Amino acid sequence: MRPRAVVAAFKQQAIHFISDPQWIIPSILSPLLFTAVMLMLYRDLTGPVVLQAVLGGGVLGMWANTLFSSSYSISFDRYNGTLEPLLLSPSEITDIVAGRALWNALIGLSNALLVFLVSELVFHTEVSLLDPVMFFLTLVLTLVSLAVIGILLSTAFVLSRMGSVVASMAEYPIYVLSGALVPITILPSGLQYISYALPPTWGVDAVKLAAVEGYQSMMGADMLVDIAMVILLTVLYFLIARFLLKRIERRILETGSSTVY
Amino acid sequence: MRSSYSLQVLSSSFRNSVVTKFTVTPVWLWLLNMMVVSFFTMFFFAALADYVSNPDVSVEYVVIGNAVQSVAVTTVYSVATVPGIQKHVGTLSSVASTPASLFTVFLGMGIINIIGGFAAAAVSMTYASLLFGVSFASGNILSVASVMVLACLSLTGVGMMIGSIGLYLRTSEIIASVVAYIGLLLCGVNFPVSYLPEWLQVLAYCNPMTYAVEATRGAVAGAALADLWEPLAAMMSLGVLFFAVSWFAFRLFERLAARRGTMESF
Repeated sequence: MRPRAVVAAFKQQAIHFISDPQWIIPSILSPLLFTAVMLMLYRDLTGPVVLQAVLGGGVLGMWANTLFSSSYSISFDRYNGTLEPLLLSPSEITDIVAGRALWNALIGLSNALLVFLVSELVFHTEVSLLDPVMFFLTLVLTLVSLAVIGILLSTAFVLSRMGSVVASMAEYPIYVLSGALVPITILPSGLQYISYALPPTWGVDAVKLAAVEGYQSMMGADMLVDIAMVILLTVLYFLIARFLLKRIERRILETGSSTVY
Repeated sequence: MRSSYSLQVLSSSFRNSVVTKFTVTPVWLWLLNMMVVSFFTMFFFAALADYVSNPDVSVEYVVIGNAVQSVAVTTVYSVATVPGIQKHVGTLSSVASTPASLFTVFLGMGIINIIGGFAAAAVSMTYASLLFGVSFASGNILSVASVMVLACLSLTGVGMMIGSIGLYLRTSEIIASVVAYIGLLLCGVNFPVSYLPEWLQVLAYCNPMTYAVEATRGAVAGAALADLWEPLAAMMSLGVLFFAVSWFAFRLFERLAARRGTMESF
């Protein structure tokens, strides 16, 4: 990895965002909607379950932003005709995607905070955190794990112009399988195994353990196990994404098919 | 003479949009996307309703609501973003310089999304019946199908109205997202409209989707079309109103964009 390339991609993504920040709106709407629906369904807005709903909504906010911003950034290169120069530069495509994903993760954090804020101001949920330091740490870890899934999905965008369809299909499964709003214990057992293989599932569990008093872990794990699993799976997903991006990059350079329409 | 010209424009715009859409995304992937998104949306809210166990909101209640919601996303959102996409790919000025009315051109381009809305309705109702245990045994299938078709047409009016703004602004996608998502919160898809504060209930009853959801629930419960005339009349009236407003809005924003040179501005 080349840190300079990662930093440059981070800065480039920041400039893109600042010049046209309105695109944060679509990615924040669906998590806000889901949280609002859950809070409307709970008629009594007190107690730990409501806190879980708000925290889950925050995680969904991070995911929506990470998914769309990170993976679509390659699509915009395709539209703008900058994908070819990007592939011809000596930097690895993984560095560029990772730099962009880091910026998007940072903005994703603001999405989460917005969900907390709206829940507080509109629904008066009175959220209080059990361990604020651990909460923040686990939230950041979860965010990184979501960013890595965004990087993995970006392989589809490098490979094909149809990547956007793949990304839109990935939005809801993570909402369901990560256990952010609904515990994975109520899912069919086959789906629960898929949930265990996703790093955000462990991250969400850790966030809730750090924030909600009396919360029972979805996997029966304690905080350390959750954190270890998030880190392990995040690294694993990153290595898979890096391997795939390298293979795809080499293949499209050989076949000259990067911007074929 | 003029109506035959409009039909020609409608037809060629439709053909153009079909070719464009399926050149980039094959039909099988488009259908797969619709099936996956419909399933997980329905599954997510069904699981939520099951977990929350609110006595007013059964899983069946949420599943039927989300079947109608899949129609709304396909029609309102997809139709609304058509002018913005033309602007993004740089073909809006060329389209605007033809003698055809932009309203007719974009309506023609939106027909594929109306068909998509019918397909989404069929897929969602199949899921509702086969996977989520919604019983259609006492339901009136003809009424359900008719309500879905009328809902697609009415909601297209909403999409066209939002889409017209895309001529003037940088994009209509942001406004389309806001209207589509906030609209879904206000129309009784996942919880009764009565849960909303009174001032929001007024907005809910200005949304054709509210009546579409009400009529669909009635049809699944066995009501004939004649019994559903009240929500259907309200939904169709709003649909016609939104179409009329969108016709004027297209003319207004087309003129404004041409005068201020914002047709291709980003």
